[in-house]
Amino acid sequence: MEQATGSGIRKYITAQPLRLALVVAAFLIYPFLVSDYFIDIAFFFGIYALLGLSLNIVLGEVGLFDFGHAGFYAIGAYTTAILNTKFGVPILVLLPLSALAAGLFAYIVCSPVIHLQGDYLLIVTLGLGEIIRLALINNPFDLTGGPNGVFGIDFPSIGPLVVDSSIEYYFLIWILVGLSIVGLLSLQHSRIGRAWNYIREDETAANASGIDSRKYKLLAFVLGAGLAGVAGNVYASKLMCVSPESFTFMESCLMFCIVLIGGMGSIPGVLIGAAFISLFPEIFRPFAMYRMLIFGLAMILMMMFRPGGAWPRKRGAVGLKSLLDDTGRSDA
Amino acid sequence: MKKDVLAICALFLVIMAGTAIAAKDTVVIGLQGPITGAWAYEGQMAKQSCEIAADLINKKGGILGGKKVVLKVVDDAGEPKSGALAAQKLVTQKDVVAVISTYGSSVCEPASNIYEKFKKVNIGYGVTAVRLTQRNFKYFFRTCGRDDSQGKFFAEYVPKKFNAKRIAIMHDNTAFGKGLAEDTKAALAAMVKAGKVSIVYYDAITPGEKDFKVPLTTLRETKPDVWYFTGYYAEAALLVTQARDIGITCPFVGGNAAINDEFVKIAGLKVATGCYMTNEPLPGDLPYPMAKEFLAAYKAKFGNIPSSPWPIYAADALNVIAYAVDKSGTTDSTKLAAFLRDQVNGVPGITGPIGFTKDGDREGVPFYLYKVDDSGKIVVTK
Amino acid sequence: MQVILEQLINGLTIGSFYALIALGYTMVYGVLKLINFAHGDFFTFGSYLGYTVLVFGAAFLTAHFGLWGVLSVALLAAAISIAIVGVIVERLAYRPVYKAGRLPAVVSALGASIFIQNAIMVIWGPRFQAYPSELIPNAHLEIYGINISLLQVIILVMSFLLMGVLYFIVQKTTFGAAVRATAHDRKTAALMGININKVIFFVFTLGPALGAITGVMVGMYYRQISFTMGWNYGLKAFTASVLGGIGNIPGAMVGGLILGVLEMLGAAYISAAWKDVFVFIILILVLIFRPTGLLGEKTAEKV
Repeated sequence: MEQATGSGIRKYITAQPLRLALVVAAFLIYPFLVSDYFIDIAFFFGIYALLGLSLNIVLGEVGLFDFGHAGFYAIGAYTTAILNTKFGVPILVLLPLSALAAGLFAYIVCSPVIHLQGDYLLIVTLGLGEIIRLALINNPFDLTGGPNGVFGIDFPSIGPLVVDSSIEYYFLIWILVGLSIVGLLSLQHSRIGRAWNYIREDETAANASGIDSRKYKLLAFVLGAGLAGVAGNVYASKLMCVSPESFTFMESCLMFCIVLIGGMGSIPGVLIGAAFISLFPEIFRPFAMYRMLIFGLAMILMMMFRPGGAWPRKRGAVGLKSLLDDTGRSDA
Repeated sequence: MKKDVLAICALFLVIMAGTAIAAKDTVVIGLQGPITGAWAYEGQMAKQSCEIAADLINKKGGILGGKKVVLKVVDDAGEPKSGALAAQKLVTQKDVVAVISTYGSSVCEPASNIYEKFKKVNIGYGVTAVRLTQRNFKYFFRTCGRDDSQGKFFAEYVPKKFNAKRIAIMHDNTAFGKGLAEDTKAALAAMVKAGKVSIVYYDAITPGEKDFKVPLTTLRETKPDVWYFTGYYAEAALLVTQARDIGITCPFVGGNAAINDEFVKIAGLKVATGCYMTNEPLPGDLPYPMAKEFLAAYKAKFGNIPSSPWPIYAADALNVIAYAVDKSGTTDSTKLAAFLRDQVNGVPGITGPIGFTKDGDREGVPFYLYKVDDSGKIVVTK
Repeated sequence: MQVILEQLINGLTIGSFYALIALGYTMVYGVLKLINFAHGDFFTFGSYLGYTVLVFGAAFLTAHFGLWGVLSVALLAAAISIAIVGVIVERLAYRPVYKAGRLPAVVSALGASIFIQNAIMVIWGPRFQAYPSELIPNAHLEIYGINISLLQVIILVMSFLLMGVLYFIVQKTTFGAAVRATAHDRKTAALMGININKVIFFVFTLGPALGAITGVMVGMYYRQISFTMGWNYGLKAFTASVLGGIGNIPGAMVGGLILGVLEMLGAAYISAAWKDVFVFIILILVLIFRPTGLLGEKTAEKV
């Protein structure tokens, strides 16, 4: 397929109209066929999809190693929890506010460290994620409720319409995922998306061609964090309580795996990765204490047989060559 | 790709079919607990305890005129999201009469929301946060005590016993440990105000770590008369060992998760002797006939008795559910919840007579001050 | 003053644990540019193997070799077994993957970590295990009023000895030069006739072996081990190796010791609850001003 001009969404629709319609229809019909348990699994699939999409901006599009993404997710969830329980701000109002809070936070903490390269950025983001989690546990200013967390969070509502059943939450999260996909697809093919990819492929050259790489990298962090904040908002209102256990380093690792299992920068890939991470442990429930053992093994096998991801992004002019460089030393 | 999908679907169907086959002459009780994850030992002990309790009931002819009690275990990995999914999984299974759920207050909270919504009786066994029973829930109960009952006991009993003026409180930043520490602090507030005692140290250690010499040195410098640690035995053993190493000699008092046989094993007899703990009556001290029977059966099957108090509350949750189903003759959740609330009173259990308040709290969980004696046994002090 | 010195020695003891584990991270990273997330679990695995030797072999071994013999056997058995495990993991989980790039290898490493951790849980059970206290020397020394346990001295001496030997191998021998050359530029090193596979074998036996020895020492020092502890120690040790400059072997040693002391300072003078926050803030500040760590060489890395 030649490099399409114009909007990325239109390209997808015209390329595979039937397949796309089938996928959408399946998503619409699914919750009416199954029990709440399976709807909830699909809901958490949606949460992970949103988190995967948000990390994909930073990791997949720009190639920045972010191992503290759970921190931004936590900021979104706690903003929602605190403002709702302490000041009664409605959940839907908090949806954009949580995104804003997480984005602003990302801007503030990432500004001084954005110049760091590769694995050094990885450890700094990891550190930031841990700082956030530890701060939540230590209950600063009596805001976060310490290890118990914040509880008694409302359901989202507009007038008489209240989102409080599994099926309604399912649609809420998947509408958000759908909107994000549309937005991200058009971003991929915009000036910003191309700048991001350029930075990932060769930052020095990008700078030389007049791209302000610092600005674009920060933008990716802010957008990624904002989207994670949205996921945090929905998660908090669905569980009606938040506690630090949900935002551990392991959670950041899982998000990282979502992007890589699916394929860096690939949106359908993120969905596959999120499906793997959220469905696998549920499917293997009957194996009780062996299930995480199998999960670990499956992660290795996935990478062995599809190292580029389950659904790698097809690229014309730009390749993933430098990322998949095996020289061990990618020289300057 | 297609083949893989088919294979996964097939596997899935087989698993579903396997779980769907359930005999008619059974009463199924769910158990939600951490079978994997950092609290796996608690979850697996709870599972073993419930299996023993169910066995004992079944050996005596079951309930409802011969029906067998069957346990259905669902893992929540000690994590809130998995807890919510585990609860959803159990509420969709119509044959599950009631659920024993779970270990850890922050995991219990979202899960109990789901049980409440689907009107499924759920009984917590290791969930001590006060707020859980302040939500006006109809279907939530707990067989364990609350954080504040223990804190009150400490404030009333311990300073007097040791004639202590300077009190150090240390917690481990877990929901349970910090909750107990805060409640103890609150319970002591009146005495602090009256100038009878002062809290000279109040800080947290990080669970999962091994070296606490630094906070302990700080504690040593505050010269406490008594030192209360509200976390778990794993850290407690390390703390006491290291504290004695650096010359802290004041009495050590642990919360009800701090001292057990493992504690004595890790700390060694020399260090463990003379350590105190506030606790509900321990399994071995339970004077009740059911306790002796249960512990004998548990020991016969697993070689030792549960090393923490919580699994026994899980077993008691199973006992009280079985009792309620048997006596009320119903498996209807709403009737069962009403029965538990109003008619269960002084029902014999492993941990003593069981009854519930109108909020769903356990009625009258007694506390004692225990001491490790010089043979390593944990005995009640008078 | 005594208190501060005591604290400092405590900090150095933890620091030497971090340093020994960090060496495993940094060597693998140097050669393969791979963050070996399973390394923390090698450490735990080693600790459990040492425990098994001490518990089940104690009677036989003490009779034949004495107390010190038992401890040496436990250390050696753990080190050798985990070195073999390290090579197996490298062959099965990493080698097929890192040919395709370093990012897929991160996922594979996380998978290996989850696998080993849960395997330990399945084999030894989810409970904490306690090292037998009677086998461990429990004496105390008073030096100028400072209270140090004999075990602490043994641990510090052994750690520094191990680090010294490794430093000698890497910095002074021909083979060490090959390792450093590979870390510097794998492709060119291969062109110069260095056997890269030999170097990889070296780092995947020595790193895990050091981790396993640390595991046994941690078990002896604290007497209590759990299957999840590798995650915590691994995270700290990884932080230490980045602090020192990842890929740099003396850097990992320095980073580990500094991290241990920093933790001590944070806990003693700020608050035990906030000490890890303090440590991570220091780490971030160091990286802001020295983007490649304390001893890391300045290179422009393109990822």
